[in-house]
Amino acid sequence: MSQGTLSSPVAPAVVSPQSTLRRLARRNSTVAFLLTLPLILLVLGLVVYPFFYALYLATLNKRMTRFIGWDNFTFLFGRQTFWDVVFQSVLFAVSAVVLKALIGFILAHVLHALPAKGQRKWRGMLLVPWVIPPAISTLAWWWLFDPSYSAFNWALMGIGVDPVPWLGTSGWARFSVILVNVWYGSPFFMIMYLAALKSVPDQLYEAAAIDGATGWQKLRFVTFPMMRNIISITVLFSLIVTFANFDIVRILTNGGPLDSTHVFATYAFQVGIQSGDIPLGATISLFMFPLLAVFAIFILRGVNRRNKEMA
Amino acid sequence: MEGNGISRRGVLRAGALGVAASTLPLVNVHGQSSGGRLALGLWDHWVPAGNDAMRKIVMDWGQKNRVEIQLDFITSVGSKNLLTIAAESQARQGHDMLSFPTWEVHSKSNLLEPLDDVMGRLQEKYGGLNPITEYLAKVEGTWRAVPAISGSQNKPAIGRFDLLKQHAGLDVQAMYPAADKAGPGADEWNWDRFLKAAESMQKAGTPFGLPVGQFPDATDWIGSLFQSFGATLVNKDGDITAKSDSVRQVLDYAKRLCAFLPNDVFSWDDASNNRALISGKSALIFNPPSAWAVAQRDAPDVAKQCWTFPAPAGSNGRFTPYLPYFWGVWSFSRNKGAAKALIEHLSQREQAQAMVAASNGYDIPPFDSMTDFDTWRTEGPPQGVVYNYPVRPHHNAKQFVACNPAPPAMAVQMYNQSIQAKMIARVSQNNESIDSAIRWAEQELEGFQRG
Amino acid sequence: MSATAATSTYTPVERKQGSLKRERRWAMIGAYIALAVFVVFFMMPPFHMLMTSLKSSGEIADLSGNPWLVSAPTLQNYWELMTEGNYLIHFRNSIIVTACTVAITMVISTLAAFALARMKFWGSTTLATGVFLTYLVPETLLFIPMFQIIGGLGLYNNLWAMVLIFPTMTVPFCTWIMIGYFASIPKELDEAALIDGAGHLQMLWKIFIPVALPGILAAMIFAFTVSWAAFIYPIAFLVSSDQMVLTVGIVSDLIRADTFQWGKIMAGALMAALPPLLVYAFLMDYYIAGLTAGATKG
Repeated sequence: MSQGTLSSPVAPAVVSPQSTLRRLARRNSTVAFLLTLPLILLVLGLVVYPFFYALYLATLNKRMTRFIGWDNFTFLFGRQTFWDVVFQSVLFAVSAVVLKALIGFILAHVLHALPAKGQRKWRGMLLVPWVIPPAISTLAWWWLFDPSYSAFNWALMGIGVDPVPWLGTSGWARFSVILVNVWYGSPFFMIMYLAALKSVPDQLYEAAAIDGATGWQKLRFVTFPMMRNIISITVLFSLIVTFANFDIVRILTNGGPLDSTHVFATYAFQVGIQSGDIPLGATISLFMFPLLAVFAIFILRGVNRRNKEMA
Repeated sequence: MEGNGISRRGVLRAGALGVAASTLPLVNVHGQSSGGRLALGLWDHWVPAGNDAMRKIVMDWGQKNRVEIQLDFITSVGSKNLLTIAAESQARQGHDMLSFPTWEVHSKSNLLEPLDDVMGRLQEKYGGLNPITEYLAKVEGTWRAVPAISGSQNKPAIGRFDLLKQHAGLDVQAMYPAADKAGPGADEWNWDRFLKAAESMQKAGTPFGLPVGQFPDATDWIGSLFQSFGATLVNKDGDITAKSDSVRQVLDYAKRLCAFLPNDVFSWDDASNNRALISGKSALIFNPPSAWAVAQRDAPDVAKQCWTFPAPAGSNGRFTPYLPYFWGVWSFSRNKGAAKALIEHLSQREQAQAMVAASNGYDIPPFDSMTDFDTWRTEGPPQGVVYNYPVRPHHNAKQFVACNPAPPAMAVQMYNQSIQAKMIARVSQNNESIDSAIRWAEQELEGFQRG
Repeated sequence: MSATAATSTYTPVERKQGSLKRERRWAMIGAYIALAVFVVFFMMPPFHMLMTSLKSSGEIADLSGNPWLVSAPTLQNYWELMTEGNYLIHFRNSIIVTACTVAITMVISTLAAFALARMKFWGSTTLATGVFLTYLVPETLLFIPMFQIIGGLGLYNNLWAMVLIFPTMTVPFCTWIMIGYFASIPKELDEAALIDGAGHLQMLWKIFIPVALPGILAAMIFAFTVSWAAFIYPIAFLVSSDQMVLTVGIVSDLIRADTFQWGKIMAGALMAALPPLLVYAFLMDYYIAGLTAGATKG
């Protein structure tokens, strides 16, 4: 692929300044198109096409033999379980992302304040949750929550506290799912913020200090504006990924107890793969798109604009 | 795309010659030609020895018949096997023959090769078949898969006879000895007695470990509980019958029972109950002998005190939870002949016996004539621990799959979304009224009715 | 710590400075307390994993012992993983898939990011936004149609299907990191190059890639992490044990129905975390530098 694009822009002979300019313009967009072609092909072939195919699937009946239009959608709108899933997905995604962003922000600041030598060691330890493949670290959490073998409950009992049904009641199960999510995702925020913090020129802080700015004011008027882009991108990315998360809920609770921890992905899996209603499963998964799209476009516009201003 | 002609002829011969043929090479005329390639996806057995025994049987068969075998063991953990079935049915490629769990034969029936010929010969030879397999694998009068030996399981009670005797006054070894007779107390082994025992065991600090979550172990015992109260949510015509006195009774009973269970059973999965037994925290679970076998490895003192016995009876009878697997052949397979021949070979008594032995008695063959293997008598310690694991005539029990007799297209949704367990959780964990739980269930069931 | 030491040698002249110093010290102590709290929270499960991986299955099942400590440490779980079963094959497969994914991702997103950052053309903004929006289409929706695509290509149950699919998870974010990075390179540089008669690709190769190396490393590390940890696609598309990557291999091979080989699962997970840990340990500073100049400008 790269070979083809590499050979294309062989410069033609220059004739006159006018036509060269025009040709340059033309060539510019051709080259640009060729350079983005692999990306476009990837997105069209492996995301857009399957997406539209899934849209089509969502209009079929259970055995995928008949076109039923919007029936799958209207059916879902009438189900209490579906609305519970919507609520829970939003609850998990928002609370987990807020906590991750907060913890990441605190840690990044604390790390940034440390001298360079000690920083590396702490940074390494704080990154561990992010490097263990989450499907497996969630298994480890699950084992820590196990009713018979819970090492947490063992420790709690050691200090005289009653064992906690980590995954057994709706409230605790929701808490546990969010906890694992936060545990896994915080280091990512930390590292993104740390990078952003390092990009803020020291002169700005010095200038602020001369103006007599307090710590809070520095944060509010120097750090925050400088980090706006990375915060938006990280939050957006994490929100999408958390919203679509499958492994954690699937492994910890499988949606239980009483569907109180089901999110879109796990509910779609249960309906589509386990109960053999693939079109309905696809319909459920489709709802993630409009819910986030507005938000995403809004954020990306802003980031794009700021990028342009800078360029 | 039709199956390889040679092995196809081989199948016919195998059928004609009966049991002898399966041990003879099927392809003996054209000695040089190969029987082709056969890709198998079989259930990943919990006993490592189970996989090895299966591999040996399959490889020997392949060698004899000059069929090149590719064998994958596909785990049911995380529904990997369901994903595989969905993937292959969409991709129209993958394995030639797969292990299909409980409900998948119906949902994929239009992509499965009819196996009436194989079933016909097997039934002729081995006689009666458990009717649940027919409910699950015979679609519109045609067998779309053959009930498998490997992986098919019962889930009777397995409990600590020492604790039950000491705290609940139940001598389960005397009630159900390792012999074809019921002992004293067996005729009173019903859900009321069970409730009393549950209460005593909770007081003794080793409560019954009955999951009420959204996993098969929970669904299976609860399905049998409902059935033994005569409580059906959907009848065989697909009509919702949830609003009935028997459903109310069973929910009322379950609520009282749950009061004596650990408070987090609503989230237990298929392994939680095993661990509860193995760790010594629980006196009774409903499970195949896997729990006992692991205890033998990790907690031998617990294992020595375990005993398997039938589930309690209710007013409608005694029902042992049963979860069968099936062997099916994709219609897009390129070697259907060989696949069918192999399925027939695997279903023979010799192979069944070998598999039962290798799996410590875990596997339950579908034919009534195959419940007399020695393994169930000899496994131990304690010797005879799994004697009552297959359903014996003196149990007066039937094997039962939860949600039967609802039409399978509905039953699969009821089963996988654990509708009965959720009803119980609503009344006992959420303290909803029984009628409101039934109303909720009716709504869900209406959703399952759509085609 | 050297920072506190440095401030303490400084003699305060005014009272205000003294309180500033005290404030500084309290801030530092607070910082270490916060760090310690989070390190405990973050390291608790990995520590428990390490302890469990050193236990025999009998000790794991034994409830009387302390679950946080190991009484008779054994390396047997590690040894069995290395000598029996397919763990090493899964490890190799993970390396192959990840290396190929990273390479493909870098080629696609470097080229695209260069074009999108430097050349205004019809639809370039839409494309940049649209690329990120692909994340909105969840894997759980995509894998069903993908069964047919992958099946049509004859790649079902084949390692190489992962190399084909994984870039959909890595390319968008990497492209975004690099658009930001390329945008931050001064325009004067390319004007100078254009005057020297360099073509666009020469410009990319001779100027952008060397200058943007930290950003490229940051994108590479991201791609590495994502494809190393991928779970849904491998579990949906890989069935044969010899084709599996680590994440699905551990889950499929070490859990037998309702029997978990916890010791080996933990040992396998810890060893699976090693390559990313090494990558981060060695490339972390580049990573941060890369992100710093990349998407972070605002």
